[in-house]
Amino acid sequence: MAPSPFAPKRPVWMRSTIAIAVLSIVVYAVWREASPWSPGGVGGLTFGTLAAAIFILDALYPLRRRLMAWPLGTAQRWLQFHLYGGVLACLFVALHTGFRVPSGAMGWSLSLLTAWATMSGLGGVWLQKYVPAKLTNDLSVEAIYERIPEIAGRLQREADSLVVGAPEVLQRFYTTTIRDDLDRLKPSWAHLGGVRAELARRVAPFQGLEAFLSPEDRVRLDGLQSIVTEKLELEVQYSLQRLLKQWVVFHVIPCMALLALLVVHIAAVLAF
Amino acid sequence: MTLDKHEKPGEGSAVDPEEAAAIQRMKQYPFLAHCSDIVLRKLLPNLIEKPFVAGETILRAGGYSDAAHYLAQGVVAVRMSIIETGRPPVAAPPADTRSFSGTTRAVLSRTSAEDVVQRGGIGANGEVLVTDVSTDLSPNLDVLLQAGDVFGEMSALSRYPVSADVVAQTDVTCLLIRTPALRMMFKQKELADFKRMIDERYRSRTLANQLRSVELFAGLDEESIAELQAVADLTSYEPGAVIVEEGAPADAFYLVRGGFVKVAVRAGAGDAAVSYLRRGDHAGEIALLLDRTWPVSLHAIEHVEMVKIGREHFQKVLARYPDVQQMVWESAVARLKERGRVVREPLTARYLQLAMDTGLIHGESVLLIDLSTCTRCDDCVRACSDTHGGTPRFVREGTKFRRWSVPQACYQCTDPVCMIGCPTGAISRPLGTLEVTINKDTCIGCHNCSKRCPWDNIVDVPFHSPTLGRDIELATKCDLCLGRPQGPACVQMCPHGSAVRISFKDPALVGRTLSEDAS
Repeated sequence: MAPSPFAPKRPVWMRSTIAIAVLSIVVYAVWREASPWSPGGVGGLTFGTLAAAIFILDALYPLRRRLMAWPLGTAQRWLQFHLYGGVLACLFVALHTGFRVPSGAMGWSLSLLTAWATMSGLGGVWLQKYVPAKLTNDLSVEAIYERIPEIAGRLQREADSLVVGAPEVLQRFYTTTIRDDLDRLKPSWAHLGGVRAELARRVAPFQGLEAFLSPEDRVRLDGLQSIVTEKLELEVQYSLQRLLKQWVVFHVIPCMALLALLVVHIAAVLAF
Repeated sequence: MTLDKHEKPGEGSAVDPEEAAAIQRMKQYPFLAHCSDIVLRKLLPNLIEKPFVAGETILRAGGYSDAAHYLAQGVVAVRMSIIETGRPPVAAPPADTRSFSGTTRAVLSRTSAEDVVQRGGIGANGEVLVTDVSTDLSPNLDVLLQAGDVFGEMSALSRYPVSADVVAQTDVTCLLIRTPALRMMFKQKELADFKRMIDERYRSRTLANQLRSVELFAGLDEESIAELQAVADLTSYEPGAVIVEEGAPADAFYLVRGGFVKVAVRAGAGDAAVSYLRRGDHAGEIALLLDRTWPVSLHAIEHVEMVKIGREHFQKVLARYPDVQQMVWESAVARLKERGRVVREPLTARYLQLAMDTGLIHGESVLLIDLSTCTRCDDCVRACSDTHGGTPRFVREGTKFRRWSVPQACYQCTDPVCMIGCPTGAISRPLGTLEVTINKDTCIGCHNCSKRCPWDNIVDVPFHSPTLGRDIELATKCDLCLGRPQGPACVQMCPHGSAVRISFKDPALVGRTLSEDAS
C-alpha cells in the first residue's frame, strides 16, 4: 500500500502546531473575556510580535538554501519550521487584530498579503506533494529538467532517421501526424490532471496503420510509437517540473511585499 | 624451443620470439618451472616483472592490490607502521557536533583527508584485519621477507585491504601475479603445488583469525579453532556456479572469504532471491543443526572463495558448545522470519535481485532518492557542490527502480577496485571506514581509477596542477563529505528528506527499506 503523499512527513511538527494554535486561541478568548482586546494592547502586541518574528525567521529559509555548507541544521527542519511557522504566523496576525476587519489601506494590505503568502505557501505544499508522486507513479521516464530539451531533440532525430527509407505511407503519416508532436516541447498545466487521455490521443493515429505495412515496417512503426510515448512523458516531466520551479514566484513576491510593509508598520507603530 | 606435448601442431610456429623468451624467463621461477608453454602463454598477460628501488613502498596498508607478489630478488620489510604511530583508528575527525559553535568550528577548520586516511591495524568497528604476509607481525617491528616469499595474495584473492606496509629494503624484483592469473593457476593440475602452498599459507596465517571473526566461533577455545583450521577445505567457484542445491543433503558449513553469493529459494519455474552473502557471512549451520536438507540454494554471483567445514567436524565442535547451539537456534528463527517475509512480499525479493544484478550489493553507502517525494529542486547537488569547492561529486541522473533513483554517486564499495593500481596512492580508504577518497594533491590524473570503476561513478574534471604546472584532468568522486561532522551534505540539505544513504551490507534491511510502502 503506497503512503499518501499528503501524510505529514514529521507528524510531531503538525501536532505541536495544532497544540500551539489551540493554546493561543484559548489565551485570546480568555483574555478577551477579561478585558477589551486591541492590537496595541499587551495581548495584541504579543501576538503581533510573535507573527513578525516568525515572518522574519521564515524569510531566512531561502538564505539557508544559499548557505548549504554551513552547519545550521538540516534543510528539512528549516522547511518544516517555514511551513508550520508560516501557518501559525497567519493565525497570530488574526489574533493580533482580534479577528476584526482591517481598516485603512495599510491594514488591508497587510491582511491581504498575509493571506496571499499563506495560501500560496499552502498551494506550494500541495504541489510539492502531489507532483512528485504523479511524476513517479504515472511515468516511466525520469529526466533532469535542464536536460529535457536536449533529450527531446535527440528523440526527434531518432524518429527522423527511423523513417528514412520507409514506404511512402509511413513517411506521410510521420510528416503529417507525428512530426508536429515531436517538433518542440509544449509544456501544459493540463498534465496536472493526468497523462492517459493525452497519451491515448497521440497514440490513436497509430491504430489501423499496421495493416498497410510489411512486418519490417511495423517494427519502425512500433519504434515511432515508443518515441512518441517517451516524448509525451518528457513533456509531462518538463511541464510539471517547470511548475515546481515557477510556483515559488507567486509566493516570494507577496512575501517580500509583506516584509517590506511589515517594516513600515513596525516603524509607524514605534514612531506614533 | 621445443613444442609442448599439449600444443596443437603448427601452434608453435605462431609464437613470436618475444613471447617465447618471456615464457622461458617465467620458467626460471621455481613454481612455474614445470608449467606447460600453453598454460604459461595464457598466464603471460597477467604476469608482470616489476623492479622496486630501495625505500619504495610496494604495498600500502589500507590499499587494495590485484596481484600476489612473488619476491624474486632482494629483501622487503613488512611493517605495521600505523600501529606504530599509536593514532586511534577512528574515521571521523573529533568534533563537538552538539553545539552550534562546535559544528561551525569543525566546518571552518575542515580536517584534511590526510589526517584520516591510510590508517591501518584494527578497524574502527573493531573488525580484525587479517594479515596477508607470510609472517606474524608485531607493532614497531619490521619483518623481513627474502627472495622466494609471496605476499599480497590474500588482498588479491579476497579483496581484503592490505594490512601492512611492504617496503623495499634493497633493490627488489617482484613477479606480480594478477588475480586472473592466480585464479587460472589454481585450476591447473600442473600448478597444484602452488595452490597448495597458497592455501596452506592462508590456513596457517589467516584462517584462525577469520574463523574467530565469525560470531558463532568467537567464543571457541584455541583447540577447537585449531581443529576447524586443520579440517577446513578452501574452495573456489566461478561466477554463476551453483555452490549448493536446495533440497540436497546438508554436507557442510560455508564461510565466504571473498566474493558475493546469492541465496535463493525455488519459486515456480525460477528462483526468488532471499538474501546474499558477502565476505564474512556464512551458511549451512541451521541445516546441519537440524540435520535437514538445504532449505535454500547458493549461487556464486562472481568469483567466490569459500571456507568449507564438513558436517561431522562442525557438529562435533557444536556439540561441545551449548552456547553456540543456542545462537544457531536464534539465528534460525530470525532467518525463517526473513524468508517468510520474502515469500509474503515478493517485492522484497525483486529488490534484492535487482541489487545483485546491478552491483548495488557492493555498496557500503549508496545514495538513493525517493522520487515520490523529491521535488527535483537539485539542492542535493548544490549542497555537494558548495561543500566541495564548486564541483559537485555526483550527478542526480541515474537508474530508476520504481520510486527509487540511484544517482551516479560513488557506492563506497566493500571491494573498491578503483583503488587497485593507483600509481601514487592518491585514492585510499581508511581501514574500518567507508569513505574512499582521492587526494587531489597527489592525484596525477592518470584515469586509472575512473577506468576501473565498474559503475562509472568517478568523474575526471579539469584542474590546474601547481605541481605539474599544467592543466590535467583529476579524478573526483563522492567522499561522503569526509570531515563534515554533519555527514553527507546531499542528505542533510534535502528539504524533503528524499535523499537517503543505505548500506547494502544487510540484505534484510535493504529489502525492507526499499520495498517499504512501495506502490
